[in-house]
Amino acid sequence: SSPAALAPCRIMPVRWSRYNPSYLEPEVRKESYQKPLEELTEEEREQAELKAVRPIKAAPPTLSSSVFSDPMISKFTNMMMKSGNKVLARSLMSQTLEAIKRKQLEKYHKAPENEKETIECNPYVIFHQALKNCQPIIGLSNITKGGKTYQVPVPLTDNRKRFLAMKWLITECRENKHRRTMMPEKLSQELLLAFNNEGPVIKKKHVLHKMAEANRAYAHFRWW
Amino acid sequence: MAAPAYPAWVTRWVSGQWRNKKRPPALRPPRTLALADKVANRREQLTEATCITEMSVMMACWKQNDFNDAPCAKEISTFYDCVAKAEKERKNQNEDSLSSRGNLPSSKVNKLLKRFPQITRYV
Repeated sequence: SSPAALAPCRIMPVRWSRYNPSYLEPEVRKESYQKPLEELTEEEREQAELKAVRPIKAAPPTLSSSVFSDPMISKFTNMMMKSGNKVLARSLMSQTLEAIKRKQLEKYHKAPENEKETIECNPYVIFHQALKNCQPIIGLSNITKGGKTYQVPVPLTDNRKRFLAMKWLITECRENKHRRTMMPEKLSQELLLAFNNEGPVIKKKHVLHKMAEANRAYAHFRWW
Repeated sequence: MAAPAYPAWVTRWVSGQWRNKKRPPALRPPRTLALADKVANRREQLTEATCITEMSVMMACWKQNDFNDAPCAKEISTFYDCVAKAEKERKNQNEDSLSSRGNLPSSKVNKLLKRFPQITRYV
């Protein structure tokens, strides 16, 4: 349509807009729709009745019902993304997974028969295990008491742990590697090292744990 | 005869304090001698840190095993359980109930007093 036709439209402020609280979240999993009516429990029946009456929010583009979608991989891709270039980030992620698979297959075919079962070839399993190995268990937070700031050991939430693990991996790959290596190559190398509990990211996690252990006397400064 | 017990002002007078112009202070400036509709802000007594024993047990295990996570899995899981329990406890505790010392926090008291103010004049 021509700009002249759109001229009388007013601008709708969108930044701080939100859904009415009566809107429900969309249900994406196919299994929940394949259950017959009799098998539902009381609360599920109530939920279904509510869904017939209340409006439902639009599903965000990242939410998918595909068997191949993984929320952790999507989160990692978003963190790798720069200036909104999701296409590039997604292609880098798929190339990383492919690189992991290739390296593991190479190891698998070169290994003797008795060791073949120990080699993990599924890149998703390797990704998840590597992330789990990189997650710190305890963090440090700055607490000011009597004019001095102390680093106090503090338990972290699950979200914070996952975020720190992903952030460390990505920063490690971006900064401490040779300038001309491609990101999938760097990332696959780091993920394989983390899967075996080696590598600089695991070292960083250990350094954080050591600092927390050294400061354990200040643990009483916490009030939560 | 035992020393007779005089009231406090007699002792003061005899000691000569009033002669040196030491008078009790007059109320200056006099604020309205009535209860206000708010309480002073009192710093809430902070609760203690939770899960310190589990954390120290876990750190001792780390020290023995060179900060590897695999041998310390049990201690780590107990620490996580403790943290989850403390978090749930914090969420469930109702702020309207009295704190451990039996006092309401000053913000809550002020809200209540604002709802039921002191009536100073009748219209």
